[in-house]
Amino acid sequence: MLVRIGLLTEGGYPYVGGDAGLWCDRLVRGLGQHEFDVYALSRTERQEDQGWVRLPPQVGRVRTAPLWTAHDDGVVYGRRTRRRFTEAYGELLTAVCGGSATGGPDVSGSGADSAGAEADRFASALYELAELARDEGGLAVALRSESAMRVLEHACRTPGALRAARTARVPDLLTVAAHVERALRPLSLDWYEDDALGSADLCHAAAGGAAALPGLLARHFLGVPLLVTEYGVHLRAHYLAASAQDEAPAVRALLAAFHGRLATEVYRAATLITPGNSHARRWQERCGADRAKLRTVHPGLEDARFAEVGEGLRGSRSADPGALVWVGRVEPAKDLISLLHAFAEIRRAEPGTRLRIVGTPAEAPDAAAYLAHCRALAAQLFPDEAEGVHAVGDNPVSFEEIGGPEIPSLADAYACGALVVLSSVVEGFPVGLVEAMLCGRATVSTDVGAVVEVIGGTGLVVPPRNPRALAEACVALLRDPERRERLGAAARARALELFTVEQNITAFHGIYLEIVSHSPVRRPVVDEEGEPLPFGVPAEAHVPGRWTRTRFVTERRPRWAEGAPVRATEPAQSRTTEPAQSRTTEPLPGQEPLPAADALPGPDSLLAPMPAPESTAGPLSGPGFPPVPEFADASRSAPETLFAPMPGPMAASSAGLEFPPVPESMAASVSAPDFPPAPAPGPMAAPFAGPDSLPLPVPGAMAAPMTGPDSLSVPGTMAGPSVAPGVLPAPVPASVAVSVGEGA
Amino acid sequence: MTIDSTGPGAPHGLDDPGETDRPAGRRGVDPVKALLHRHRDLCERAVDPLEIAAGLEAHGVTDRTAARLRHRDVFSLAEEMYARTARDAEAVPSAETPGSPSPRGSRAAASWTALALVPGALGAAVVAGLRLTDGQPRLAVAVSGVLAVAVGLYLALRSGPLSSRHRTTGTARAWTCWLLAYALAGDGLLDAARDGGPHGSWPLATAPVLALLLAPAPAAWCAHLFAARARRRLSASRGLEEFAASVRPLLIGAFGLYLAALFGLLALCGTVLDQPPGYAGAGTLGALLLLARLLTARGFTRVPGRVLAGAGAVEALALVTILAARLPGCSSLAGPVDTLAAAAGPGALPALACGAGALVLLVQAARTLTRASAHAPPDEAS
Repeated sequence: MLVRIGLLTEGGYPYVGGDAGLWCDRLVRGLGQHEFDVYALSRTERQEDQGWVRLPPQVGRVRTAPLWTAHDDGVVYGRRTRRRFTEAYGELLTAVCGGSATGGPDVSGSGADSAGAEADRFASALYELAELARDEGGLAVALRSESAMRVLEHACRTPGALRAARTARVPDLLTVAAHVERALRPLSLDWYEDDALGSADLCHAAAGGAAALPGLLARHFLGVPLLVTEYGVHLRAHYLAASAQDEAPAVRALLAAFHGRLATEVYRAATLITPGNSHARRWQERCGADRAKLRTVHPGLEDARFAEVGEGLRGSRSADPGALVWVGRVEPAKDLISLLHAFAEIRRAEPGTRLRIVGTPAEAPDAAAYLAHCRALAAQLFPDEAEGVHAVGDNPVSFEEIGGPEIPSLADAYACGALVVLSSVVEGFPVGLVEAMLCGRATVSTDVGAVVEVIGGTGLVVPPRNPRALAEACVALLRDPERRERLGAAARARALELFTVEQNITAFHGIYLEIVSHSPVRRPVVDEEGEPLPFGVPAEAHVPGRWTRTRFVTERRPRWAEGAPVRATEPAQSRTTEPAQSRTTEPLPGQEPLPAADALPGPDSLLAPMPAPESTAGPLSGPGFPPVPEFADASRSAPETLFAPMPGPMAASSAGLEFPPVPESMAASVSAPDFPPAPAPGPMAAPFAGPDSLPLPVPGAMAAPMTGPDSLSVPGTMAGPSVAPGVLPAPVPASVAVSVGEGA
Repeated sequence: MTIDSTGPGAPHGLDDPGETDRPAGRRGVDPVKALLHRHRDLCERAVDPLEIAAGLEAHGVTDRTAARLRHRDVFSLAEEMYARTARDAEAVPSAETPGSPSPRGSRAAASWTALALVPGALGAAVVAGLRLTDGQPRLAVAVSGVLAVAVGLYLALRSGPLSSRHRTTGTARAWTCWLLAYALAGDGLLDAARDGGPHGSWPLATAPVLALLLAPAPAAWCAHLFAARARRRLSASRGLEEFAASVRPLLIGAFGLYLAALFGLLALCGTVLDQPPGYAGAGTLGALLLLARLLTARGFTRVPGRVLAGAGAVEALALVTILAARLPGCSSLAGPVDTLAAAAGPGALPALACGAGALVLLVQAARTLTRASAHAPPDEAS
């Protein structure tokens, strides 16, 4: 099926060296069966001068617009238009000034309702401004005019406005007005026509913020569904950038509220949102994104260049069994100091160990000073060593760069050591860690950012800023080559499953099809002569919104957090059900206390082919579980069954009481002890032949989840449960909870 | 949000049975307090809890850390920290005075001051050349002088406080040139035309035009003064009305200063060149040009363009009516201009046209240049 995708970027894709350009390029090239139209906003004039990258043939057309300059079309509003503008802008600003967008401390019912009302107000004012810009033009001039300033001043002085906004002085108002005008420049674009964004089947915004704004308007004007991908949350980036600048509190408060409202509206209007990791996901949930819309799609790395090293064809023989490798950009956030201190302890336990720091120079001004500081510390901590009295000595810590004779490529950097160490205190998505995993190296990393989510159970994780813990973990692995090998193999398997380009592209392919399958065809279908085809489009019901949704308030404490920790599932006793029932990705809370916190299998480990329960950190990677950062039981050895292709029921029950293998959670969620493996009886097979077909008998309790919006796409589903009780030979357990809607 | 004093640090805390078993005093009663102290700056600066959350994460605080502090996640930890930070919202940041200008700014000021003097210097040289030469060379001096002065004017207006980020339209430039040309030759031509001429060349009014060419320098200084003072008022005022009220006298003052300088220049040029200085015509034209430039520099191009065109058109029309009155049956056309010139001299016409225009622009400037939006700092294209 051919899908026409309007790819929206800001300061990104077709321009050379833009943000996320590589990802967009891979996505467009990987999905050659679809058609892409690129709508790009350029961020600076220099970026425009630098030109575009080579575009593959599936890119139909590229439309660009500058964000760095306002287009003054010379339109001056008349009295009626000006009133329309001031009303809309006033509404927008009142919604912005009317309190925090993303929920203050009190989230009582009335507070949530009023927040919702404010969000609605913001959205309708935004669309009104967009309509004004489409009808009349001249929005850029109007947003900087004196009447806009008056509206802004009035909104700031209104009782009930943000406390910080009330202190705004005239320069602050000017700054805010200029910033809002810049942020709303996409409203004045001429992309919202039937032959532009209207011709796309869906809009895919490659980032939040300004890139998502055209998608928002295309959805409003033309009904094009919107998909938002955020590898870094725009709102968070705004906060960090704003705190670096020295603006008045009133400016920062107003702009933060504005961007918060905008993010909320983008998340509300988006059909699906794909955060890049669970950290971004939590921010999005916090900003009001509906959980049902979120699909985490991890970024993908090109695995081919690590294949030789990862498969052991190259480099493993030259690897020094006593060498630790650190690869990355040398900057203070990587905490090399702590690594050097840890290395001192490692050498106390294991003399003869070497540390190779393979650094790429960072652009930051203080990076060079930091590197010099690290070198000095290394020279101070470790004297040069030599083989004998006649040999020239060398420092056990070496600072190297990629491209030299010893380390010609990045893969060689990982290949040259037995163990890869990551000592960061701040980290987003740890690309270096994924590279190490693809190289099949055992890793020891600090628990920051998305590290735990990435590593799963295939490496050791220690708390940040804890050199002793880092040292202990490294020593444990240095002394156990077999374990290193096992972990490395498991890490490579996990990375190949989760963090490859193919995985990323396949995920987006599926998401595109999912969105298109849920959105009605709006264009008239014509035959060869250009005549409209009657009944060319099947009549279908499109229900806007979700009518089975229960209201979910993110700020409330979740159920699992009330009371003592509980075990998600029964300890495995009967595993007679097939692994094919693995559609339950949510372990059920509230059944039994846990024997050990580390036995919780998170959703990630369910997806992994082979989660090695080596470290305690791995199984903790589920987003919903109270984390217990402990490293102590890492020495517990893994059962031998770990590398069997798929742990069968027998293997699991013999070895898995401590470490439940993959299918346990769903097996145990069917709590009837001797539940038959039961292929579906004849009458049942037909109604459930849809995408969500389940090979188990359908109990009465299934009716409720099956009435979700998804089930509308399967004709005849509703008939299933009514037939079921009479036909089923098996007893119906009441507690079967198969969340059919969870499609990810 | 009120903080429960019995459970410091745990407004969202879990009812952990292990709480009582913990050895007392190991980590202090209030684990969040240390964190608050460490990130004091962040918390005091933050405008909402999410900013603290973003800052904490940038410092490596994760959900695991928050869990150790008995919070569900970083967001709830940030909310507690936000609520517990004493933040005096009324602390008015010290009104930053644009104090001593930076060396770069003073160098720029020197450069535009020098450039503003260029047209005057060129004009003086041309006038001297015209006085000293005769015949063919004189024509060459005149032509090259006009070109040089045009280039000088372009240079003087390209930078400094009179420069405009907004594109001036070609028509406005053409009308400005026409007005200057009329100031140079218009009065003489009008006189000659009324007498049935022109017969050969007619006298040129070089003194007023030289004064007008010297005027960019005081104009730039006055505009700079106005802009700098207005910026200072801007950072000090709390409301738009207050700002407008404080800037209006400033505008009038700067304008008056410029007028005084212009009349001084006119008197000087008149004395040196021994010509009638033409206070009315040249003075009003200078005022008109300054106001038009001030408005254009701040993006208000529409009204100045129209007013310049109107004044120029009136002057052109006067000449046309005088010449057209020689056609048979059209003698009554010359009536109004003739009457005016007979009553108050030929200089009354440009004075009237430019004076009316300047008055309109003065009213317009008093309305628009006192707006805060007219003094917005230029948008930096990051």
